[in-house]
Amino acid sequence: MRRADRDGTPPVMARFWVFARPYLPTYMVGLLLLLLTNGLSLWIPWLLRDAIDAIEAGTELRVLAGFAGAMIGVALLQGIVRTLSRLTILGNARRVAYDIRNRFFEHLQRLGANFYDTHRTGDIMSRGVNDIRLLQSFYGPGVLNFLNTVIIYVATLALLLSIDVQLTLISLALYPVLLLGVNLLSRRVYGRSLAVQEQLATISNRAQENISGIQQVKTYVQEEREISDFRELCAEFRRRNLAMASVRGGMVSLIGIVSGVGTLVVLFVGGRFVIEGRLTFGDFVAFNAYLGLLAWPTVAMGWIINVFQRGAGAMDRLEEVLDQEPDVPAALDEGSEEAPERAEPVDGDIEIRGLTFVYGARTEEVDPRVATLRDIDLTIPRGSRLALVGPVGSGKSTLVNLLARVYPVPRGTILIGGVDINDIPVSRLRTSLGYVPQEAFLFSRSVKENILFGQPDASDDEIERAIDVSRLAGDLESFPEGLETIVGERGFTLSGGQRQRATLARAVVGDPRILILDDSLSSVDADTERAILTELDVVMRDRTTIFISHRPSALADMDRIVFVERGRIVESGTHDELMSKEGAYARLFHRQMLERDLGPS
Amino acid sequence: MRPSAPPSIHEEERLGKAYDARMVRRLWSYVRPHRALVLLSMVLLLAVSAAQLAQPYLVKVAIDDYISKRSLEGLGGVAALFLAALIAEFVLRFAQIYVLERTGQNVVFDIRSHVFAHLQHLPSAFFDRNPVGRLMTRLTSDVEALHEVFTSGVVVILTDLIKLAGIVAILVWMDWRLALVTFTVLPPLLIVTWYFRIRMRRAYRRVRLLVARLNAFLQESVTGMRVVQIFVRERANLERFHEINRDHRDAQLKSVQYDSIFSAAAEMISSVTLAAIVWAGGSRILSGATTFGTLVAFIEYAGKFFRPLQELSQRYTVMQSAMSAAERIFKLLDTEIPIKSPPKPARIEKRLRGEIVFENVTFGYNEGEPVLHDVSFRIRPGERVAVVGWTGAGKSTLIRLLVRLYDVQEGRILFDGIDIREYDLQELRRSIGVVLQDHFLFAGTVEGNISLGDPRVSPERVRQAAEAVRADRFIDRLPKGYGEEVRERGSNFSVGEKQLLSFARAVAFDPAVLVLDEATASVDPETERRIQDALETLLRGRTSIIIAHRLATIRGADRILVLHRGRLLEEGSHEKLVALEGGLYSKLYRLQTSES
Repeated sequence: MRRADRDGTPPVMARFWVFARPYLPTYMVGLLLLLLTNGLSLWIPWLLRDAIDAIEAGTELRVLAGFAGAMIGVALLQGIVRTLSRLTILGNARRVAYDIRNRFFEHLQRLGANFYDTHRTGDIMSRGVNDIRLLQSFYGPGVLNFLNTVIIYVATLALLLSIDVQLTLISLALYPVLLLGVNLLSRRVYGRSLAVQEQLATISNRAQENISGIQQVKTYVQEEREISDFRELCAEFRRRNLAMASVRGGMVSLIGIVSGVGTLVVLFVGGRFVIEGRLTFGDFVAFNAYLGLLAWPTVAMGWIINVFQRGAGAMDRLEEVLDQEPDVPAALDEGSEEAPERAEPVDGDIEIRGLTFVYGARTEEVDPRVATLRDIDLTIPRGSRLALVGPVGSGKSTLVNLLARVYPVPRGTILIGGVDINDIPVSRLRTSLGYVPQEAFLFSRSVKENILFGQPDASDDEIERAIDVSRLAGDLESFPEGLETIVGERGFTLSGGQRQRATLARAVVGDPRILILDDSLSSVDADTERAILTELDVVMRDRTTIFISHRPSALADMDRIVFVERGRIVESGTHDELMSKEGAYARLFHRQMLERDLGPS
Repeated sequence: MRPSAPPSIHEEERLGKAYDARMVRRLWSYVRPHRALVLLSMVLLLAVSAAQLAQPYLVKVAIDDYISKRSLEGLGGVAALFLAALIAEFVLRFAQIYVLERTGQNVVFDIRSHVFAHLQHLPSAFFDRNPVGRLMTRLTSDVEALHEVFTSGVVVILTDLIKLAGIVAILVWMDWRLALVTFTVLPPLLIVTWYFRIRMRRAYRRVRLLVARLNAFLQESVTGMRVVQIFVRERANLERFHEINRDHRDAQLKSVQYDSIFSAAAEMISSVTLAAIVWAGGSRILSGATTFGTLVAFIEYAGKFFRPLQELSQRYTVMQSAMSAAERIFKLLDTEIPIKSPPKPARIEKRLRGEIVFENVTFGYNEGEPVLHDVSFRIRPGERVAVVGWTGAGKSTLIRLLVRLYDVQEGRILFDGIDIREYDLQELRRSIGVVLQDHFLFAGTVEGNISLGDPRVSPERVRQAAEAVRADRFIDRLPKGYGEEVRERGSNFSVGEKQLLSFARAVAFDPAVLVLDEATASVDPETERRIQDALETLLRGRTSIIIAHRLATIRGADRILVLHRGRLLEEGSHEKLVALEGGLYSKLYRLQTSES
């Protein structure tokens, strides 16, 4: 959980620079094209000026045609150059965003369970989606408009000054005022739009609360009150929207008259200069055109500042994730990863020695009073079947999670085949395990892809066998497209039992040396579970099985049963031994036998 | 007799027509009450356009009448008029934006409130079938999409059209020959716009699709990260992400391409128009057919002409998504309300006696999966009955049927001898005091949670009720006492406190029948004792049905109903049932006592 040293944090621009660097040549080309585009677009009013002066002087049609032709030529050229300049700069932004997104995703895959325990999915998503989008508009339109504004301002100012210094100063005197006004209003619009968003969130929360509690609302006859409360929230929402509209209206109207104000000055002062003979008529028209060109960059200034500020915030939030160091070595960073499935599997007795574990704490500073697991000593001989039993929250899942090194494991506490698991490459350790998690998580892919998840190269026979073991064959027939059925929200919905059995098939398809079932057959009915266990006995011959379950029927055949309570092993032995003890396990067993007889299923 | 629910399809992505007469008529019914505002904003729009279009004409006047004639006198007057036009534009546009927003907000307020009110009356079965997320979308994004119709839809389209017509009229009036030349660039502009907008829309749609796919993949990977890591699929997963990300980038680049070409082409065409005006206008000036002022005004008007044309197709997309949002909203509003009060409800005379009879009741949430089978029993007025059974036996369903959250499929339920379906729905629910297991607290104050905002429950009554169940002790310790705010779902209260509050609520209403779903959550012994005391107060002198989990509660009942797999298995007093050899209750009882 190390953060980059704050003092050593490079300044904002330098951090943006890192991602832009590979595209520097393209950005340079973009800048050149932009200079050229603006040069061309500023040429047109100049041609207009000369044309009008020529007309005033009573020129020939031929000369006029020449001006018109030149304008068209410049326009065509400018069209091409402008297209290219936008393509390079805006395209770059997409490429940079692509890189950032890849980098972000890659890093997410390095981070371990501790990170995911402390960061909500919504939070991570917001960084990966909104923040990267903000950066994209920084690297694209932000950079483009910034460069454009600078170029246009410098060039236009030079041209205006070359036409008439005094007129330039008079007409630009009002611009800072307008700029200030627009900025002020846009900041207020932003503030008020936050208030609007806030109220919308309040409305959403209230509606969500209402809908999820609709039975209570009805039972207590609270419909009318809920409606009137909701209307009140909506009325406040309307009020805030109108408050925002009043500033937004001011801002939009102000922006609308920026170029008009310029025209007014040119008309009044410039017109006077023409009459006095200080300016030609062409100067007058061109001056007005150039002033018009300044209107948009003036307004855009505020927007650019905003994009830069929000981009910096987004960069901060992204780096907060990117700077996190994984607390368990990431499989991505290990050498032999091109085919981890072919690496020699880990095998042998599993020894757990004096294991004490606290979530989120560093391995060396464990406070035993808050420990989830305390002084666990346990040997699981190779090829044996162990059951972990105990109340919810007793630490069973934590123990099997540690076997897969999902959390950092204290040195010397877990050994497989005599080797500390901290010395086994993570990818090798994990590919040797068949893991069926408590929550039957499947990806929105086909059933087949899900089963093959860890072993994409498994043969048809192996799939067949995995399906057999997990008793999925019958279900597959009822799926619309059998093995190819897409599961998940947008696809076919599997029942809880079907999901669990699919995750079992996913775990056994690779013929793992060690199979871990973390209470993963709870939604499967008792008969099917028994059949699955019988089948597993065959498959898992000479293999180690660790089994967390609450069903008595599942436990009777185990080689050893360990009863865990509050992070400690309180009883251990075979089923018969524990039954004759008449301790915690025996009580649990009696209760569950009764429940099975009477249970709802 | 199942309530019909709409089929669950993913309709969010669908884009409909931009104009659907049926939808528009229905939307109009919401706009109608605010038509004065609509009219006002239209008038303002016309005025804004007039103020805007006057400006280039004033420039023409200034040039032709004063600058060309080298006459300083009067230039100030024109400039003043120009200033007036600018101020008018500023003020009128401000007013127009505000009035339009006000109209839109009023309409949206009505629609949102209407949707919410309708939701309140839909049956529970509807909510079983429609995920909260989908209903939230109706109330938020769909309603906001309708709002867009006002801010950047219909009205803006109308404005643009009016402005375009105005410009055409002025140009023709000033110099129709020059106007014709100017208009020759229109066809290419329209063709280019049309060509690119179609492609851009398609490109944007693909971008949206890929954004959705990218986000879905990211979300799924984050949720399933542990599985990915345990199966060591990081590399494969990363490649998959690269692929989607690449597709997404390429789609983005495609849209950038169209966007760049289109904006450059539009600008190019406007420069070409300028050249055409200079050429045609210039030659007409040379021949004395037109003036410099006209030429400059033409250049100005042409500039104002292009933008609305380019934006028309964006408006089209706004209208499209608004129409499909409207369709989804109206579909929700059209969902029928099957559980409602009869047209002529049975009168509830004074206080009900509190006799409840279940007669051969069969019910299931899903077709062909009955949860209750042919259940019959009678509860006498004043009797205290405990219902016991395993999870899933159908105990909570009994309560839901009694207060008509669902209607029975077979058989009937009688309350004081009358079928519950003959009472007014709300009267029925008010006559039955229900204390649910999760002790739901509503947003509002402590007092509001006891009185439920019912004017018949006075503040004194609230305090008496709280005292009766001894909830007053912790309420008095709250910083604001009875005025303390209840945070989201009562997260600022402990389980025990919430329980006492819901007891107080039931006492305050003094119902003839009390239904209690006893909490299973464990509390400390002290609280437990207080809750048991409060419970005694609560139950005294009422017909009560308790879904019981605590032995003490069960033993205190006059009669016990043992429910098993949706059937009534055993019935009788505690002593009788315990004595029943091999009975379910006696087994449960022995297990309970052996464990405690």
